[in-house]
Amino acid sequence: MSNERFTEPEVNENINVTPSDDLNNDASVSSAPETDDSILDFDDDPLSATSVSKKSLVVFFLIDTSGSMKGKKMGELNTVMEELIPEIRRVGEADTDVKVAVLTFSTEVRWMYANPIPIEDFEWARLRASGVTSMGAAFKELNHRMSRNSFLNSPSLSFAPVIFLMTDGYPSDDYKEGLRELQTNSWYKFGLKAALGIGQEANDNILAEFTGSKDTVVHAYSGGQLAQMIKIIAVTSAQIGSKSMTLSDDTGQELGEENVFAAKQKLLGQQIQELVSTTNDGDDVPFDTGW
Amino acid sequence: MFNGFSHSVMGASHEKTNLVCQDSSAFKIGDHYAIAVVADGHGSKKHFRSHFGSKFAVEAAIEAIDRYYEDREALEANLPEYHKLILKNIEKQIISNWNVRIEKHLAENPVTEEEKSKFTEEEFEAILPESYYGSTLVVAVAGDNYTFGVQIGDGSLVAIFEDGKAVMPMEYNEAAPANVTASVCNSNAAGMFSSFYVPNKKLIALYGSTDGLYTSFGSEYDFLDYHTIITSQLINLETFKNVIKNNLSKRSHFGTEDDISLSCIYDADLLREKLNLINERVAENKQAAADRKTAALSKQVEVE
Repeated sequence: MSNERFTEPEVNENINVTPSDDLNNDASVSSAPETDDSILDFDDDPLSATSVSKKSLVVFFLIDTSGSMKGKKMGELNTVMEELIPEIRRVGEADTDVKVAVLTFSTEVRWMYANPIPIEDFEWARLRASGVTSMGAAFKELNHRMSRNSFLNSPSLSFAPVIFLMTDGYPSDDYKEGLRELQTNSWYKFGLKAALGIGQEANDNILAEFTGSKDTVVHAYSGGQLAQMIKIIAVTSAQIGSKSMTLSDDTGQELGEENVFAAKQKLLGQQIQELVSTTNDGDDVPFDTGW
Repeated sequence: MFNGFSHSVMGASHEKTNLVCQDSSAFKIGDHYAIAVVADGHGSKKHFRSHFGSKFAVEAAIEAIDRYYEDREALEANLPEYHKLILKNIEKQIISNWNVRIEKHLAENPVTEEEKSKFTEEEFEAILPESYYGSTLVVAVAGDNYTFGVQIGDGSLVAIFEDGKAVMPMEYNEAAPANVTASVCNSNAAGMFSSFYVPNKKLIALYGSTDGLYTSFGSEYDFLDYHTIITSQLINLETFKNVIKNNLSKRSHFGTEDDISLSCIYDADLLREKLNLINERVAENKQAAADRKTAALSKQVEVE
């Protein structure tokens, strides 16, 4: 019996401390040090090999790459997406890890990368256009991937995703069936949705079915407008999407998930419409000239 | 010979709102056994005493396990064949011990007017007293050549056995209604545990953590690699303790802003013997992470 050795449990409790309390080395750290710099100095910390993840936001782009997008539309879209990436990098920044996933749909449906890519590593691949418009298949694929078992599998906590649909035409498959499936997905339900119709043939009513409201649907009839609209929607929705909303402005009560979603979607619609009303066409040539 | 450490940090979000740390943690080294425990008090409005609840959960777990080890030979003889029954009984004992503690605390410390003031009368009457103390609980036990653990609610268990690979040994109870919401205060808590038992395998190190740690990682790979790195440094535990404490603070500060607890028990002799292997695993993991990143950046679409 005298050879037994045990250590009394080290029950680490924390007392309610104020910032002026000294750190007690026997208790757990319950107050931040006087200067934050002291916990930043980790040159010798082997644990720095695994980085700290903040709350994450995945921005999904669904992009029509059917044959009708060939030429000016696809060229302009490719260019603006290349320019957009550095702008999205600035969103969230200190507080949020932003990742991007691009789903292209034409005859086939294909992801640009196998998984969502952190914005700091993301490189736009200039897309080619050909084939028909399998929007329904794209909706089904998005439903499959927006899941904790797939693209949304990061341990770090997630904001609801941003989903941005861009198309220039009418779907060639049964989009309603795909949309019905997608509407059962909780990430989709609580995600921030916006859509851009490109050129005359795009049907804004279908896009409004996708986003849930007309004020989150915009239309571009020229290359200049396309660039402006993509930037407005992508940056605004990423900014709103990465905002933590825990209190309602009016009542001070904690907002539930549904209320946060509704508030964010409403804000997105308002901001998009405000920004769109300030854009101008300049001397831009419409897409559909010569089609 | 077993050794260990445990540590809890208060989340940055709790600092901002003047809440106390809701987490508790502990480790215990016994005679040929060791226990690692962490608990995460729920912290939301109706669980206004969950910082006590998590402390009592940790104490209740250690008390229950110690009781079984009063006759270690009998326990170890029965574990191989009857581990399911034994673990079920341990789970029941933990809940019973926890209830004794919270009832005593409540009797000695009746609810104050200040605590009640946050609710309407109807709201307050609707809350069961045990809910005031609600908490998760993760318990892991190591013997000479076996390991077992029980868990209710979220949190993680990571084990590094003699092959040096970090694994999560818990088998989650599919029947429990989404493990993340289970609590020691649930009326059927004893039936909501998940458990694991690994016989005939030597353990190098075993870790329990509350979910604030897991959610500070971008991938499960990173989470597991983190534990392998810690294991490689345990040989210098006294100096490394501060590094761990600071890293947990950093993870809370820059990550989830949640409370974070980590408890560890390890076989110091086996660790010394396997240190080269652990260091090899750290290097392999680093390479694997780089390979995954390269693969992830490979494009899959038709380009111009």
